Amino acid sequence: MDPPVKRLTLPASAGSISAFCEFVRGGAVAAGVAAREFEKLDLVLEEILINVARYAYAPETGVVEVAYAPAGDRKLRVEIADFGRVFNPLEADPPDLSRGLADRPIGGLGVFLVRSMVDSIDYRREGDRNILSFTFPVDPAAAK
Amino acid sequence: MNIEPTELEKAVLLKVTGRMDAENAHEFEQACEHWITHGTKHLIADLDGLQYVSSMGLRCFLSVAQKLQSGSGSLILCGLHGLPRQVFEMTRLIGLFPVFDTTQQALATL
Repeated sequence: MDPPVKRLTLPASAGSISAFCEFVRGGAVAAGVAAREFEKLDLVLEEILINVARYAYAPETGVVEVAYAPAGDRKLRVEIADFGRVFNPLEADPPDLSRGLADRPIGGLGVFLVRSMVDSIDYRREGDRNILSFTFPVDPAAAK
Repeated sequence: MNIEPTELEKAVLLKVTGRMDAENAHEFEQACEHWITHGTKHLIADLDGLQYVSSMGLRCFLSVAQKLQSGSGSLILCGLHGLPRQVFEMTRLIGLFPVFDTTQQALATL
């Protein structure tokens, strides 16, 4: 990402998620993201970070770094990097949303929600790092 | 997140307020399971004060509803709005639950 980039590194655990959300919210405010969209941004961060917390290093522990910067075209760009095993959450099959209650699978909705809420999202492996990078629209109503 | 239960004649009302996330969603599931274990067939979740729910919360709603349905009961949702309503709609979970604007409307159906 081009500067000015802000970065925060914390343990890859569920307990770090709210601190990361607060951190990125600073970028959202600066980028002009509407207040009504803050919870959506929290949700995107939570879904990505909970996957890292659970799968990147298990059963060991590690860290995760979140970085953000304003992107052109009224967007906020966020990157989430870990040093864990190779894992691309975007490869998961989309959930079957047509099933009835009794046989509706319990999992798989997190990545689906992330994809629904971001403007774009990409995964790349860079050296020993997994990097998930997304852009969040300042005004989704205008962007979609 | 805060969960305030009220025992009614035909159901237990759970007033859920605040944020349901990866760290606390299991508390909602545990609260529901407590009432299911005590023979409650219908749970009404008043979500008027729920500001946020992520996929971990959705899993709990789904899991509880499946358990209640297998005992001919139901998990009824009331007052869904804002982000929680959006995620229930996006995931098409909203069609799998009885959904009402108010708890009074829900109670009238039991």
